[in-house]
Amino acid sequence: MLRKEQNELITRTGPGTPTGQLFRSYWIPALLAEELPENECPPVRVKILSERLLAFRDTEGKYGLIDEFCAHRGVSLWFGRNEENGLRCPYHGWKYNTDGQCIDVPSEAPESGFCQKIKLKSYPLVKIGPALWTYMGPPEKQPPLPEWEFAKVPDSHSFLSKRFQEANWLQALEGGIDSSHVSFLHSGDLESDPLFKGAKGNKYNLGDTRPVFEVVEQPGGLYIGARRNAEEGKYYWRITPWVMPCFTMVPPRGDHPVHGHFWIPIDDENCWAYSFDYHATRPLTDAERNAMCEGKGIHAATIPGTNFIPTANKHNDYLMDRAAQKAGRTYSGVEGIAIQDSSLQESMGPIVDRTKENLVSTDNGIIMARHRLMRAAKALADKGVTPPGVDPAHHHVRSASIVLPPDQPFKEGAKEALVVKEGVPHASV
Amino acid sequence: MLSESARMTTAEEAKFRINAPNSKPRAIKVIALDQRSQAVVKKLAEGEWNQASFFASVHFDSPPQAGADWSMKAWLNDLAGRTIKLMDEVNNADLVVMVANAGEKAEAASVIGEACAAKRVQATGLILDRKSATDEAISTTLLHLRPYASMLVVADDEDYIESMLVALRA
Repeated sequence: MLRKEQNELITRTGPGTPTGQLFRSYWIPALLAEELPENECPPVRVKILSERLLAFRDTEGKYGLIDEFCAHRGVSLWFGRNEENGLRCPYHGWKYNTDGQCIDVPSEAPESGFCQKIKLKSYPLVKIGPALWTYMGPPEKQPPLPEWEFAKVPDSHSFLSKRFQEANWLQALEGGIDSSHVSFLHSGDLESDPLFKGAKGNKYNLGDTRPVFEVVEQPGGLYIGARRNAEEGKYYWRITPWVMPCFTMVPPRGDHPVHGHFWIPIDDENCWAYSFDYHATRPLTDAERNAMCEGKGIHAATIPGTNFIPTANKHNDYLMDRAAQKAGRTYSGVEGIAIQDSSLQESMGPIVDRTKENLVSTDNGIIMARHRLMRAAKALADKGVTPPGVDPAHHHVRSASIVLPPDQPFKEGAKEALVVKEGVPHASV
Repeated sequence: MLSESARMTTAEEAKFRINAPNSKPRAIKVIALDQRSQAVVKKLAEGEWNQASFFASVHFDSPPQAGADWSMKAWLNDLAGRTIKLMDEVNNADLVVMVANAGEKAEAASVIGEACAAKRVQATGLILDRKSATDEAISTTLLHLRPYASMLVVADDEDYIESMLVALRA
């Protein structure tokens, strides 16, 4: 459980809140790169950390993330004309560049210098890999650009999707840290999903449904190791890294691509689930890419023309199939790993009341993550301490699945496997 | 028309959740396995807890070893210095938390672990590395705890134990 004030502290991410300040220490995904596919394409509304923003790509390809509303009369610039290196408000023609600087006010004489006095709040927006990243903190504290492996490999090796989730970001993150639910909620998918099936490790997963957990702190966050029995007294380990504040990576299966998530607060009651898949040493096959586009693995099919709303969502009861549940084709009656997770996380309500929960010792990964988030938020607010996960060196992590002798700690036995090594595939069983 | 899920997951609906206790306090026994951990456990015991109890040390009639009912011959010292049978405490526990300092051999873990196994009580091991422990030191302690704990945590600050106990409603 968390006390009420702790739950408030850790779930609220708007401007001026401690956890909001924490999030504003990092480069975080703001959009998929494909949402701004070409110069002068239509602008896109972006709401993150409870701020209404607008992203656009100008005539020369510069990206901008600015206050959504025109400084003149408060019109949404989503209606704006993206032309000649700026976004022009269609109401009275005020025009802004990618830094939010007003560069034209047609009603005022240019020599008056009036437009120089108008500037919208803006944040940097940078393309790295398949995402556009922003940093929303104080400019003087802007850290170096992120160095996540999935965003650094060639485009052909990586895939990124996003979906809208109607729950506080922490509910979603905690699902990613909680490895023990996999043996139940997702048990039907291990041998059927094209992005999971066929791996030798699945046999260990299905053969030992009572994994033992070890949680170990690492500089950027945690490693959560789930241990199952393998042959000859050895242990099969699945090791999940969590890097603060909201990055997790699922341990790999065979030669399948490796996947992971970022959970980005939209506001306090909604978040974006960004889901990536990549292979460190080879391009994704057409079959893999098609499966990801169709919503297999950790991805979800979304309704075309909507803002990444999943096809199965709370407004259609997640297409609940009681017959499939009864027959054991799915454990919960909901199809697909992503929606199995989101359906349960959304069912908790927009912000779950953690004063009522009853955690058990296998929830130590969640307990430790909360502890570290609160500690970092307080240290930042009180003493200006840079939180873990800001340093790009903390991004060079990998998940791993590996068989080790019983007397070997996973952090030691998998030491090499848990660090990015260019040209070397993930350690995977 | 709104779906069942859409109607029932609003903040408005959350107000109608039953406001009654949904659990009884759990008996959690926190046992220091070595000298340095004793100080941490003693400090923790000064807090307000539901049903947590704290033990400063474990001792045996003869040197500890795994197997052959050794847990029957093990004793705990509570913070007031009283000697209590390990088996009696484990028998009344919902969870046993063993606290060890990285680098310590934590030999008592085997005896406590066997007592827990005999009584079907979950055992959690918590290793404090204080940010300064070497991998080797952590490995030494992990090795002793691993066979007997269903959950192991290596924490770099001792505040974590309090967070964990609060989270578990100790």
